[in-house]
Amino acid sequence: MGDIVAGMLTSHAPLITAKPVVSDPQQRSRFLAGFDVLRQRLEHARPDVLVVFANDHLQNFFLNNIPAYCIGMAESYEAPSKGGATFLKIPPRRVPGAKAWAQSLLEAGWEAGFDFAYSQELEFWDDVSVPLHFLMPRATIPIVPILTNCVAPPLPPPRRSYRVGAFVREFIQTKCPKGQRVALLGSGGISHSVGTPETGKINPHFDQRILEWVRQGKGDALAALSHEEIEKEGGNGGQELRNWIPVLSALPGHKGEVLSYEPVPEWITGVAIVWLTMS
Amino acid sequence: MSEYQLNKLLFMLAGQHKMVDSLSEEDELGSYELSQDEKDALKKGDTIRLYELGANPYLIRRVFRPRFKV
Repeated sequence: MGDIVAGMLTSHAPLITAKPVVSDPQQRSRFLAGFDVLRQRLEHARPDVLVVFANDHLQNFFLNNIPAYCIGMAESYEAPSKGGATFLKIPPRRVPGAKAWAQSLLEAGWEAGFDFAYSQELEFWDDVSVPLHFLMPRATIPIVPILTNCVAPPLPPPRRSYRVGAFVREFIQTKCPKGQRVALLGSGGISHSVGTPETGKINPHFDQRILEWVRQGKGDALAALSHEEIEKEGGNGGQELRNWIPVLSALPGHKGEVLSYEPVPEWITGVAIVWLTMS
Repeated sequence: MSEYQLNKLLFMLAGQHKMVDSLSEEDELGSYELSQDEKDALKKGDTIRLYELGANPYLIRRVFRPRFKV
């Protein structure tokens, strides 16, 4: 029986590392202070494995074969890849994977009715690389990425992500070795529009509504959102809330401590950092 | 014409980390089955028209990054 020792939610955006100084210095300072606190808590939690719920940005998958959910099952990952590093402006590096753990999760998923795809080679851009740049500067903890299609509609419904999170919790609690310490990270959102005619639009009201649910531990409220509601209120980038939902459903009874939230127009994103704590 | 072909072209260019204001025939437009409307939008770098034509917005932003102010 493993233990979930950390639950974290963060935003990602390439401009956070590519152009940090274009943002308001005070906003940037407050936001990065949140990452600093989160990193300290993650280190204090001493996880053996870090499960990262994130999404591809069409650098790995194309429309000829898009998995709704894909588990990374590699020895290591490029996070960021050399190509990603060119625009993220952080050094390319390899982050260790937890291949056997990932395969166990995959097979347990198939038994439980979740037809996960898997991949033994994934390159990451801001999706995984930006939060890990701040949270894991020395690339010490093996990761298991679980990618959800958030960018190439039709997308799996948010309520499905809720069930995925509950499954991951059950897997950790019933299939993992006794005492194994597992941390969960959800990376994405909150409101932002990417490449659409509304590019740059941020909706702080929507963001605050989401964060209030997170504070109350209401992952089910996030999961009840429809694709259309998210798109209208949170932009196409808001669809990445699918990466937050499984962390919330894996940690019932936990409430979100919002360490920072800033709507940063220069990064075209309402960015937040959240630690989940048992209430 | 199929928006799939349009996205296929953009995916190929994004994979090369191409970031441009506009495209030309030299960018392998002829290798994909594109409508005249799609070709025109690509050559103008008309991101809104490309979005209307079904191009994936993440690919639009990747390839036509200089077209976006932020």
